[in-house]
Amino acid sequence: MSATAVHTAGPTVSLSERLKDPAWLLLPAAAFLAFIYLLPLFDLFRISMSGSSWSVHFERVFAVSLYWDSLVRTMQISFTVALLCLFFGYPTALLIHKTSGWRQAVIATAVVLPYFIAILIRTYSWMVLLGKNGPINKLAVALGIFDQPAQLLFNRGSVLLGMTAVLLPLMVLSIYSSIARQDPSLVRAGQASGAGPLAVFWRVLLPLTLPGMGAGFLLVFVTALGFFITPTLLGGPGDQMFAMHITQQADFATSEGFLQALAVVLLVITLVVVAIAGRFLGFEFIWGGNKLSDSTKPSKQRHPGRWTGGALSAKIADGIGWPLMRLLSRMPVNTGTWTVRALGGFVLMMLTVPIVVVMILSFSKASFLTFPPPGFSLRWYEKFFSDTEWMTAFTNSLIIAAMSAVFAVTLGVMAALGIVRSSIKGKSAIMLLLVSPVIVPPVVLGLSLYSLFLRTDLAGTMGGLAAAHAIGGLPLVVVIMAASLQGVDRRLEQAAAVHGASPLTVFRTVTLPAIAPGMAAAAFFAFLHSFDELVLSLFLSSAQLKTLPLRLWADVNYQLNPVLAVVSTLEVLLVVGGIALARPVLAGRSKALA
Amino acid sequence: MQCKFFGKLAGGVAAAAIYFAAAHGAAAQSNEVIMQDPGGAYGEALRKIMYDPFEKETGIKVVTVQEARSGPRIKAQVDAGKTEWDLTFIFDQETKLLGDCCLADIDYTKLSESAQKTLATMPDNLKRPKGVALQVIGVALAYNTEKYTGEVPQNWADFWNVEKFPGTRCLPAWPRFVFEAALMADGVEKEKIYPIDMERALKKIEEIKPHVSKWWTTAAQAPQLLLDGEADMCMAYAGRINNLVVVEGAPVDMTWNDGFVYYDFFSIPKGAPHYENALKLLSYRLDAERAAALTQEYPVALPSPLVYEAAPKDVSRLWANNPDNIAKAIAWSPDYWGAQSEDGRSTNEEYGQEKLNALLAK
Repeated sequence: MSATAVHTAGPTVSLSERLKDPAWLLLPAAAFLAFIYLLPLFDLFRISMSGSSWSVHFERVFAVSLYWDSLVRTMQISFTVALLCLFFGYPTALLIHKTSGWRQAVIATAVVLPYFIAILIRTYSWMVLLGKNGPINKLAVALGIFDQPAQLLFNRGSVLLGMTAVLLPLMVLSIYSSIARQDPSLVRAGQASGAGPLAVFWRVLLPLTLPGMGAGFLLVFVTALGFFITPTLLGGPGDQMFAMHITQQADFATSEGFLQALAVVLLVITLVVVAIAGRFLGFEFIWGGNKLSDSTKPSKQRHPGRWTGGALSAKIADGIGWPLMRLLSRMPVNTGTWTVRALGGFVLMMLTVPIVVVMILSFSKASFLTFPPPGFSLRWYEKFFSDTEWMTAFTNSLIIAAMSAVFAVTLGVMAALGIVRSSIKGKSAIMLLLVSPVIVPPVVLGLSLYSLFLRTDLAGTMGGLAAAHAIGGLPLVVVIMAASLQGVDRRLEQAAAVHGASPLTVFRTVTLPAIAPGMAAAAFFAFLHSFDELVLSLFLSSAQLKTLPLRLWADVNYQLNPVLAVVSTLEVLLVVGGIALARPVLAGRSKALA
Repeated sequence: MQCKFFGKLAGGVAAAAIYFAAAHGAAAQSNEVIMQDPGGAYGEALRKIMYDPFEKETGIKVVTVQEARSGPRIKAQVDAGKTEWDLTFIFDQETKLLGDCCLADIDYTKLSESAQKTLATMPDNLKRPKGVALQVIGVALAYNTEKYTGEVPQNWADFWNVEKFPGTRCLPAWPRFVFEAALMADGVEKEKIYPIDMERALKKIEEIKPHVSKWWTTAAQAPQLLLDGEADMCMAYAGRINNLVVVEGAPVDMTWNDGFVYYDFFSIPKGAPHYENALKLLSYRLDAERAAALTQEYPVALPSPLVYEAAPKDVSRLWANNPDNIAKAIAWSPDYWGAQSEDGRSTNEEYGQEKLNALLAK
């Protein structure tokens, strides 16, 4: 293997030096990504330029006002969603930070839990909630607000609501990790110097958490750009987002080239946004703001300074913001606390109520979705477990997710070791490559992979689908493992080595136990990522290979029946179980990331 | 040592991948036929009347894949030399667009005797070298009978008349059928619809747009919207509406006036893994008795008089190939939609879709 070649290149290097520079461990992940990720994307560019002239398909994208309008609309929706997430996410993150004990555990779980439940399922739960026979309509009619059930679905409002709810956890976690990272004594110092709660917020907390807010905002914005599932299910014809044109265009036999051009446009716009953001924020925002070279060169972490250091922003903060704060401070002392609680409480409701409603509905007696259910029964559970198609899809998903987790963890742990432990140059660039799949819209990735999979016989194989899912699982593993590895005390390894342990023994007896919890968490996330994945599967599955999300997708589009609620409930139980098992590890993870 | 350990690990992963790839390869050789399936109630009827007995009789497993439109997938698969499907249904216009590149010739001589008998009664246009019409499809005006108790809507002019027939509407989010209906509502004679005046159609569609609660995208949505009360009057596929009226007795009805009739073709893609099995399944589906039995479960008929004769009258009353209905409906033109658009960039269908999307997004 090439890895061995690199390794034997220096036969005379001593043991400790060998351990010191395991850069070759990056090779498997690099090869994997080059083949299954970069190659198809290059191919996508090539096909998009394959018309009579290279630009003919792009000319169509920009000449037909439909696509341009849709691009503008996609930007607007994404921006609005990011703003809404910021507005509701900040108080929620503060609320988590300020509470403690079981309250904090409950609130944190309410935020984290939905984060791991499939987007498809969370969107479906909003369809149930907002439907004509849904609880909101029923309640409003009962209270006399509406005369008759109103059409709450299929408009811009429902799209914004659904997307905000789906993406909120991302924002809350981003901001929370930046709040938790702050030195609590700074706040106390402010208070001791006589600053009121608003002043502490404005002068201390807000500036220090700005990078977290920026990171969260960008993550939400970029993810929203490529959104496809939620706007398809919750939107009307006036809410077509750009990714939806790609899937619609994929239905036309004559659209080769143009289809790829649409995907390239979406990809390029996403990359440009990320590049601009990276200029200001540092690209670390993509993987949670932890600079990798921290441990060796602590002086490099100066990003908060970029935000607070500018004279202009300080002037604005003092000239406009401060008088505003003074005005606000005339309100009763508790207003701030209560605002945080009210907004945070509202967010928690938005995140949990739909899921709870769906769980209750899964026990409904009725054959259609109506809330509250007219009676309770287990008939839909029986239908699910006795239906061979559902069960096959379920088993397929379990197997694929397990394989995908193995792929992602194997490659990811090696890559993390390679990047953390080696003295290789350009760590940030390598890390950027490793985590970049997170920002590529799934629709673009799926489209680009389809032709590669056909050519290499991977289409419709479990291994192929698992490998495709591992593209997105790998960044999760790398980020978690990099953080986990940085927490390992190198001196313990050196001590073991000094006492004659071979590198493998050192790894097995010292390093591995230390990073095992992180590995377990990483495996769990990689598993869930694959288990929930829909968009890539839409492109890459085959007749014989249907996954659970694919089956769900077919049914959601066909008719909303209670079997979907059963599947949703089972998925929630799976996630709750997994998180309960991994809780000690999760605590470790948030610490490691903080 | 360390690299050996990881080498083994990587080797294991590669081995696993190869194993699963190989397992799949082996599966493809087994005795089965891979058939595109419409899903829903129709899919269940096909499974019960056609596939299950076929499996028992021949020992060939019927694997179904649910996909609304197969054209692009077939093209990609054939281009890559990796055909996965054996039998697919594709649109009339696509048998022409994809015929040369991607579809195999159907060897009609190898079909069973009873299938030959049925085929003999079908017009030549429905048994092409590259595809055979297995289902006659109707698109028509359907409405909720609890909403419209007195006078019922009779044609697209009524559909557009929200004063006479107040209530919500649903329409497909496609240019095909919708543009034609809009033109008829605007007073264009049936014979003069093609070539379609897209601007005129779009102007008419803009009128009805505020009253459309949902622009549907899959066949099953329209009947569901009618049943749920989300829409009172819809353009819908006739098959499922028939099914609701005849089999389930639901409060919906439909009219064949100004309806559209066309055919879905079944083709075998080039390089299909189980060509012979596909012919066997095709023979099975072309058997007139069995095709008639299928219509009692789900009323989408094979376009042959034999099947029409074999079915009970109350079942065939609303069929798309009932001569009474055909007289009221218009012959939908797949050729127009498959032709190149005026700007030369795409087909009329794609061009119309872009125009319609832009209007709906306004």
